[in-house]
Amino acid sequence: MRSYEKGLWLLILLLTAAVVYAVFFLVPPAMGLGSLVRIAFFHIPVAWVAVLAFLVSAWYAVRYLRRPSARFDAFSAESARLGLIFVVLATLSGAVFSKLTWGSYWNWDPRQTTIFVLLLIYAAYLTLRSVIPDAHRRARVAAIYALFSFLTVPFLVFIIPRFYFSLHPAPVINGSGSIDMDPVMLKTLLASLLDMTLIYIAVLYHRVNSERGVHHET
Amino acid sequence: MHASLYRAIESVFRKEARISLRSRSSWLVVLMFALTTLSCVSLLMQGDILAPRLAASMLWIILFFSLLAGAGRGFADEEQAGTLMALQVYGSSQAVLFGKGLFMAVLLFVLSLLIVPMYLVLMDIAVASWPAFLLTLLGGTYGMAMAGTLLSALMFGAKVQSGLLSILMLPVLLPILLPAIVLTASCFAGEAVHGSYLVGIALYDAIMTLAASLLFDFLWYED
Repeated sequence: MRSYEKGLWLLILLLTAAVVYAVFFLVPPAMGLGSLVRIAFFHIPVAWVAVLAFLVSAWYAVRYLRRPSARFDAFSAESARLGLIFVVLATLSGAVFSKLTWGSYWNWDPRQTTIFVLLLIYAAYLTLRSVIPDAHRRARVAAIYALFSFLTVPFLVFIIPRFYFSLHPAPVINGSGSIDMDPVMLKTLLASLLDMTLIYIAVLYHRVNSERGVHHET
Repeated sequence: MHASLYRAIESVFRKEARISLRSRSSWLVVLMFALTTLSCVSLLMQGDILAPRLAASMLWIILFFSLLAGAGRGFADEEQAGTLMALQVYGSSQAVLFGKGLFMAVLLFVLSLLIVPMYLVLMDIAVASWPAFLLTLLGGTYGMAMAGTLLSALMFGAKVQSGLLSILMLPVLLPILLPAIVLTASCFAGEAVHGSYLVGIALYDAIMTLAASLLFDFLWYED
């Protein structure tokens, strides 16, 4: 492991410890949700990284199509693999929150639908990769599917939740563009978002740079 | 559109139509699949009346899976017949994509016009607003045709093809299927139809067409 990687992991470790402390000891109970609000400091960051991983996968798909390179394909594929893990975590944490607040694990709320479709896309992308034996064709086809399925994200994330009635709490930045949140909660949320993003970046680089990342499928 | 490109699209469209009419396999499979599923559903319901939302969902599930059998054949048939190379040599990518995609759109819409009346009769459902219902069918089948054409081209060289198309298609088509179900339910229930859903379907169809057009070149012209 290189020195900057060690530094990054050390930063992640410290930040994670600080976030865990803040979530359990500093964040006040929220109105209407009580202590259940603490789940949000895990759920929102993993959901954010799930979408970010998809964006990164699509970005490297564009770069691959413009200039085919095994490294770009590795970034796209590894980002999708990590994205699948994060989207599963977001789905599970959301389902637990749903059970504790609304009484059922799953009721096809628009936000649940969105995250579920993202899960389907990741699963379809990885299935497609697994059934094409030729490495060059696999990379090209996977890049095209990543971009084609990427079209659904703006519709599912921004349009469908606004069309259908949702029980899901309003996004952090609400409809009027302002942030309506306790300052301690907001700082903790921002720190947890940064922490989860750094974890994603560190794992992504580690996997791509390791032998598994580059030679796994060749 | 450039005149020569238009002529090339028309040629591919005619070729597809001629082969489809000659072999009949592509649309016969779709019809038989739909007929089998419809009769199963009707038989199991034993004359019970479904709520509009449930009836609409059931209709679109049947349409999705039966039309999928046709939508995915675009390039698989060429590969089996050994004519893909000739098409790659003589046809430009855009002519092939739009010729095949538009033919598939017409075929799927016509097939849905045969499947839907059977469903309405067997399930004893009346449609309150036919124009909105037909526009929904048109938007839905067009989206399936364009996505099916691109995705069937993606699947060359895949070890497993059966079942893969539905896995790839469902996430891509959900932004069409969800509003289509809401619109169809409104048409079945006799409620006011929200035009914004139709606009949403049309917009998504347009974006999907543009994306398919941009991405298909990367598939057609391999290194």
